[in-house]
Amino acid sequence: MADPSPVRYYKPAAEFKLDITDVKNFVYDMSRCIKCKGCTWVDHTYMPGPKFMTRCPSAAKYEFDAYGAYGKMRIGHAMAEGRLGWNETALEVLYACTLCGACDVGCKRNLDLEVGLSLEALRVKAVQDGVGPLPAHKRIAESIAQKHNLYGAPSEKRTEWLPQGITPAQKAEVLYFAGCTASYVNREIAQSTAKILQAAGTAFMLMPDEWCCGNTVFSVGLFDEAKALAQRNIDQVRQTGVKTLLTSCAECYRMWKVDYPKVLNISTADLGFQVIHLVEYVDEKMKSGVLKMKKPLETRLTYHDSCGLARLSDPWTPYEGKRGWMGCVEPRLTRRRGNQEIYAKPRDILKAIPGVNLVEMPRTRENAFCCGAGRGVREAFPDFAEWAASHRLDEVKEIGAETLVSSCPWCKNNFAQAAKAGAADVQVLDISEVICASIEG
Amino acid sequence: MAISKEIYKALEAVVGSQYISDDPVICEGYRSGPGGYESGLGYERVMTKVPGCVIMPRTTEEVQRIVKVCYRNDVPYVPYSTGFYGSRSHPHVEDALLIDLKRMNDFKLDEKHFYVEVGPGMIYSPIQEECMKHGAYVVIGGGGAQASAIANLIGDGWSPLSHRIGLPHRRILGTEVVMPDGELLKLGSLAEGDDPFWGEGPGPDLRGLLRGYTGLRGCLGIVTRMAIKTLPFQPERLEPTGISPNTALALPEKRVKWINFVVPSKDAQVQAMREIGHAEIAGAVTKVPLFWRAIAKAECKEEFWDLWSKENEETVANFFIVRVLLIGYTSEEQMEYDERVLMDIMSEVGGIARRTKPSDESWIKNADSAGMWLMCGGYVSVDYVIETLSQSPDHGPSYADLKRKYTPPLMPDYGDPGWFQSFELGHQGYSEFLVYWDQDDDTNPVDQFYVDTSKMNIKNRFYTSLLGPHQPLYLTGPQYGPNYHEFLLKVKNEFDPKWKSHPPVPLAHDVFVERAPWMHHMKDWESPDDLPK
Repeated sequence: MADPSPVRYYKPAAEFKLDITDVKNFVYDMSRCIKCKGCTWVDHTYMPGPKFMTRCPSAAKYEFDAYGAYGKMRIGHAMAEGRLGWNETALEVLYACTLCGACDVGCKRNLDLEVGLSLEALRVKAVQDGVGPLPAHKRIAESIAQKHNLYGAPSEKRTEWLPQGITPAQKAEVLYFAGCTASYVNREIAQSTAKILQAAGTAFMLMPDEWCCGNTVFSVGLFDEAKALAQRNIDQVRQTGVKTLLTSCAECYRMWKVDYPKVLNISTADLGFQVIHLVEYVDEKMKSGVLKMKKPLETRLTYHDSCGLARLSDPWTPYEGKRGWMGCVEPRLTRRRGNQEIYAKPRDILKAIPGVNLVEMPRTRENAFCCGAGRGVREAFPDFAEWAASHRLDEVKEIGAETLVSSCPWCKNNFAQAAKAGAADVQVLDISEVICASIEG
Repeated sequence: MAISKEIYKALEAVVGSQYISDDPVICEGYRSGPGGYESGLGYERVMTKVPGCVIMPRTTEEVQRIVKVCYRNDVPYVPYSTGFYGSRSHPHVEDALLIDLKRMNDFKLDEKHFYVEVGPGMIYSPIQEECMKHGAYVVIGGGGAQASAIANLIGDGWSPLSHRIGLPHRRILGTEVVMPDGELLKLGSLAEGDDPFWGEGPGPDLRGLLRGYTGLRGCLGIVTRMAIKTLPFQPERLEPTGISPNTALALPEKRVKWINFVVPSKDAQVQAMREIGHAEIAGAVTKVPLFWRAIAKAECKEEFWDLWSKENEETVANFFIVRVLLIGYTSEEQMEYDERVLMDIMSEVGGIARRTKPSDESWIKNADSAGMWLMCGGYVSVDYVIETLSQSPDHGPSYADLKRKYTPPLMPDYGDPGWFQSFELGHQGYSEFLVYWDQDDDTNPVDQFYVDTSKMNIKNRFYTSLLGPHQPLYLTGPQYGPNYHEFLLKVKNEFDPKWKSHPPVPLAHDVFVERAPWMHHMKDWESPDDLPK
């Protein structure tokens, strides 16, 4: 019979925060991984068959367990406990990952572990330990510090995207945050967005001096730099007095809605303004009859869920509490599971366009396979980024779609480059372009 | 002995540099715990090691060549398909080669002859999806939809659907096994050609070497290819619905339907299951633990404890439910007939149908075993018993009684007797007992409980499944044999004389008891002095 003396149910409550600047906050989560690989497999209920079984680009590309969240949790746990040090492989394991959130929503189906935050905390730790980020990331951070944009482009050219005939208001209730890529590279996205706003009769303003949202610096673990950008940008927006900040980039959207509050330890609700993506705006205007999709688009079309506008988009609430018996936490924690019903909106818009035959890829919504571009991957691991896009385009080919639409310039660029390199004969568009073309008809 | 540069080069030549690594970071990714099956228990702490090297073959021939290199150079190795089976599927000795089989995920469906052919990297849910598209289905074992089908079939491989579709050994057809020294063994019709349609012979049916009752945990080589029998299903689509975590298959109710019945007693449960089997109706018939209902209802672990803490010994003792899955295999008319028969049976035993959701969350395609860890963090199915339908319900309560001595640290479950159900249309009854704990608690009593259950089964003469590598072989062997252990060791010595295939299995639990001081007082059986160290 068991010796009763050391046996107890009571466990002293351990304090923790959802604070990614200290990886020890996530030791519990990293130590509880059971290798069910729910982080990697498509939700089994939606499993499409022997093709396209997984949703983690890193695990699919590099294959060793270390590259899946189940391996990273073990590696992170060992590092947090001082049992394992950094080397070149560790940095590749950590950074050859798009932080797309597939692992996080997968785990929250089974175990509710904070996998996504653990991965972010490990990148912050890499910076704290002096080994991260990677050289390509440092170059981006330098560009942002000097020119306030990703590309090191002249800041005075930032608003050159503005189309003729559209003049932003000096003061308005809606502020359009175009972001670096739509301002400098994919101007058609910013232009389409502005035209949609005008067509709906919504006066909008721009930031007096728009800076990068800081997506890449935050994503690679440069927490202090990201925090400074967040504070600066939020202060600027608050000074304008706008009620709504609208983006057309899923990554900018995620930064403003989720990661700014995260780094500043406030709630999304405490920003002082609402953050919406163009898709949410158009969905509301369309359903209230303000916007009408008129011009037909005769195409077999599929929609790619951009991670920032999908499973990563649940609002942020700071949490500080205690973990006790059986790992239960007090006070109650509302887990972010990526299930806030945003998935229907872009589909409802696209289905409303005459002539569009919307077909779904085998992996959709929370099970979507990331395009491979985001969170520092395109800069440091371009081959991996192209591989991921090509792999996703295999799905587009599988369903015979002629047009691929996403809600993020990062996705559009990465898919377009892969398609151009021969991965698929498909037209790649941003949803803003598709909407704009239809309402202008 | 560490894997030398020369041996590494020889292995690298088999798979290419991209698919082998001895980098400590890559190897750490294959650490067994502390999470996982048997989370944080002594067995995981004492018996598992981070591999010295990891290799990922693509073909049977590559596996053969790897194993031959290992055998020639005395390198211990462990086959590894998904890693879900926790500590038992990870290396137990220093500097082992872990052979990760995930790249061997081939899949072929033979619609005409009702079988699928898979590699060890192929998991269940894609198989089920593809089968259902072609009018067939398989059992996704309790190991879960994420389990390697081969690993599950040579280990356990059953679920409530086994009421109809039968036990795992009846579904294994033509199979390829790379034996511990690298020789290729082909079972069934694969021995004569490339058609895996038939599973038995030629000569003695060697499928018993793969699994016996519940498997040998990789200590007798590596299965690299297997054909699995499928059964005919109904044709309507089971449509996935919802957003994770609340996803389910919407059932076409005229062809597939779960009905939950409350019955007045355990005798009524058994009688209902027996009559359902005799009438040859239903795709699944089962009684599950009451706390599974709380798991299904709860949105988070804290809510689970809110719900579960409302139960007590009395509510658990009076929980008599029979879940029945009706399937109209051939037609809606057949379904209607089956339902009328079912209602007649339930009327006779006093069963009352309860409102049941027209969906399947956890057996047909998902088999949600991973959710078992949600409420505590530590979990193991401590034993399974296949008995007669009338005997198997006695198994759970005996466990529940023993468990009281070890509660805490085991989860308070108010005497829940676990899960029991009908197998093969009532020909057998199945009982499974599950235990849960917090791995941050003192878990030594969980290790002790595990071995104590074996002693209890010996005393009660239950024919338990967890023999061989699951419990100390020298405890169970003489009692279930009297020479069962000697036979198993003869087989092991014959096929793996150098003990390179997942050592020290099947003596790993014996070794654990020797190594773990908190287990010493449990040892009241004889074992040789020369156990592997």
